[in-house]
Amino acid sequence: MRLEATNRLKGLIKGYYDELFAVAEEGRPSAWLNVGMPCEIFYAMDIFPFYPENYGAACGAMKLTPKLSAVAEARGFSADLCSYVRATLGSVFSGEGPYGALPHPTIQVDSMNSCTMIMIWWRAVEREWGVPTFLLDTPLVRETSDGINLVYVETEVRRMVAWAEEKTGRSLDLDRLRQVVALSNEGKALWAEVLDLRRAHPCPITAADIFTHMFPMVALRGTPQYVEHLRALRDEVKQRVDDGFAAVPGERYRLLWDNLPPWFDLRLFDDLAARGANFVIDTYTQAWGPRYMGPVDLEHPLRSFAAYMGAGFLNVQIGKRYALLAELVDAYDVDGVVFHSDRSCKPFSLVEVELRRLLQKRKGIPGLILEGDHNDPNLFDRERGMGQLESFLELLDAREQVPG
Amino acid sequence: MRSSLGDGVLAAPSAEAGARALERLRRVAADPRAELRRIKERTGLMAVGYFDTYLPPELIAAHGVLPFRVPTNGHDDTRAMEYIQGFACPASRNVLDQALRGDLDMLDGALFTRYCDSLRGVFAVWDSEKLTPYVDFVRYPTVTHTQAAVDYLAEELQEVSWRMAGALGAPIDEHRLREAIDAGNRARALLAEFARQRAARELAVPGADALAVLIAFTTMLPDEFTQALAALMAQPPAGEPGDAVPVVLSGVTFDNIDLARTFEDTGLYLIADDLSTGSRLYTVQVGDGDPWQALARAYLTKPPCSVKEPSAARADHLLAQVGASGAAGVVFYLTRFCDTEQVEWPFLRDRLAAEGIPVVLIEGEHRAAGLEQVRTRLEAFREQLEALAEVDDGEGQDGGSE
Ligand code: SF4
Ligand code: SF4
Repeated sequence: MRLEATNRLKGLIKGYYDELFAVAEEGRPSAWLNVGMPCEIFYAMDIFPFYPENYGAACGAMKLTPKLSAVAEARGFSADLCSYVRATLGSVFSGEGPYGALPHPTIQVDSMNSCTMIMIWWRAVEREWGVPTFLLDTPLVRETSDGINLVYVETEVRRMVAWAEEKTGRSLDLDRLRQVVALSNEGKALWAEVLDLRRAHPCPITAADIFTHMFPMVALRGTPQYVEHLRALRDEVKQRVDDGFAAVPGERYRLLWDNLPPWFDLRLFDDLAARGANFVIDTYTQAWGPRYMGPVDLEHPLRSFAAYMGAGFLNVQIGKRYALLAELVDAYDVDGVVFHSDRSCKPFSLVEVELRRLLQKRKGIPGLILEGDHNDPNLFDRERGMGQLESFLELLDAREQVPG
Repeated sequence: MRSSLGDGVLAAPSAEAGARALERLRRVAADPRAELRRIKERTGLMAVGYFDTYLPPELIAAHGVLPFRVPTNGHDDTRAMEYIQGFACPASRNVLDQALRGDLDMLDGALFTRYCDSLRGVFAVWDSEKLTPYVDFVRYPTVTHTQAAVDYLAEELQEVSWRMAGALGAPIDEHRLREAIDAGNRARALLAEFARQRAARELAVPGADALAVLIAFTTMLPDEFTQALAALMAQPPAGEPGDAVPVVLSGVTFDNIDLARTFEDTGLYLIADDLSTGSRLYTVQVGDGDPWQALARAYLTKPPCSVKEPSAARADHLLAQVGASGAAGVVFYLTRFCDTEQVEWPFLRDRLAAEGIPVVLIEGEHRAAGLEQVRTRLEAFREQLEALAEVDDGEGQDGGSE
């Protein structure tokens, strides 16, 4: 059963895009950011933040990726590139997309805490539209950003703020930032609660429910409507838990989803629900959870942003990824892990084979490597994938029957 | 203990020395792993492998340890496929495969940086499976133009150095660091001169041999390498590229000699390069002063690979190679699944087009097998370049007669 909160999302998204176009029309500044950049800083500066990856997901959900990708490929961008890049660049080059031609931003800022290729993607837009672009350095770390690394990333954050001030004429007022951050912290705490409520038996929501709610987590952090929405979501999910509501009736398999979802095919999760399988937790939404994006320190907000950017979900390495998996498997009582091997996203995917091995060896939890893509339906063989998932569930059945 | 690093003396060249030197360099490049084993045996030193051109080998040498850039070996990578997906780039899969098969068991350690997302995946497996007794990671900047990045990298290199000293029981010696820098500078300066002479047609050395020289550079002791290269340059074996058409080879890592030979068999002459293991590396000269600062600055400001802060500098460097060598065109070798190069390619292509320089895109897997299609495309490219040259000549003559 669909969440009430999901029904309200539509209005939230529409409001956001209306604002995007209004901002451009009125000549107010806007910024394109990658998801590793905190929108709070930009809301505080009155620079409207826009996330191309989020937009790419919208293109995917509306099944526009193949068409837009063809535009980018015709310009010489390889079909092997991340499908977010292909979809978004296709939209930039053609002026087409789910909301029509996108307005040009005033500036672009990207940080290095996701993938390496992202900076050249941003430069492609810079070259096409002539938008001033800033690259914020967050050197890849093993587990945490501290010592000289933290000092460096904080210097980078400050350098970026000074640059954005110069390019847009807006300045960052720290008191205003603290207000935005307070709202952001409040919303993130509610998000953490929602993620935690998924531990219930039976689990109150499905993976599709939570993935659908990534939009406000990515793009609206620090706004009043964000807190309002998250509170409604938390209340609703909590009520479900109190009522003993099962998102998947007769919940039989409690699974963990690793990696981004296939945005073009969230129905996959419904199809598995019919078999009694629910993804009670995933790693993707954890990137915005308390383990990676805890509350920002109101006293030293920029340092605090630097700390979480420097050790963002994709900016740390296998040790931390494994520790998270192991922790989630225990906390959510997980029977098995589906590692979505996302052809697009190397930093997310290229550790999965090893993670599967480690999880099996150390915790006896089986894993399935499911080949696919988060945004390009042509890279997901659904029939084959469903077959693999079926066999995986059978394997879990067989394990259950083995005594001991 | 007296170090074997950085103590070499340049010997005066003698007749035949050039041919012998070339043979030596070819032998090293034909099996760099075997050469490393020999050097280890001879010197009794430990060895640490690295994978990309932003890692200063001086950092390793300063510990009295042999730096070794792990080259691809052109073999299949079935072992790696048990540990990493097929969309990791073939070059990265290949080095992982070598480690899993035990081909790199002479390495006492391995040092990674943030180069690309494929190598990052390889690091994860390497680290988790402890494929060498010591594995470490340099938290490398991507921004290259700020003093903050230089300061940070200088400190980070020192932190890695302290860890390496502890893990290998090989303390750092600042004097040796300076020696390693000087030896590296000498080798790179000579390589740059070698490339200049080839580009100026003062030296006729096929591209496949020039590649062998580059592989030898990242395998041998710096001064031994310098000595061999100096001997080769002083007495170059007679050789003519004949009517082969000169082109610049652009890409990232390119270390498969058979592949280079295949390219040249189509009538092209690889006269210069824009490679991360070639001209984008040997143009580095580490300056004086504090050695850590000097190293950080030199490596951050070298002609950039597409994995660093994007700028026009990569294209500028490529164009400079074309200009200096008078190459008729560019062969852009795109490693499959190398995403930064995939995004860079349309810009390089457009920039070359704007300058009227023909370019052909060859996508590949760092193997020389099954290259029929590649051969056909390169032959067609050569014919295209020859036709263009004839038109140019024709125009030149017409102009002259009027
Ligand atoms: S490769 Fe991964 S991190 Fe990079 S843009 Fe694509 S989805 Fe995001
Ligand atoms: S070829 Fe590209 S993807 Fe492969 S190791 Fe080199 S830089 Fe990385």
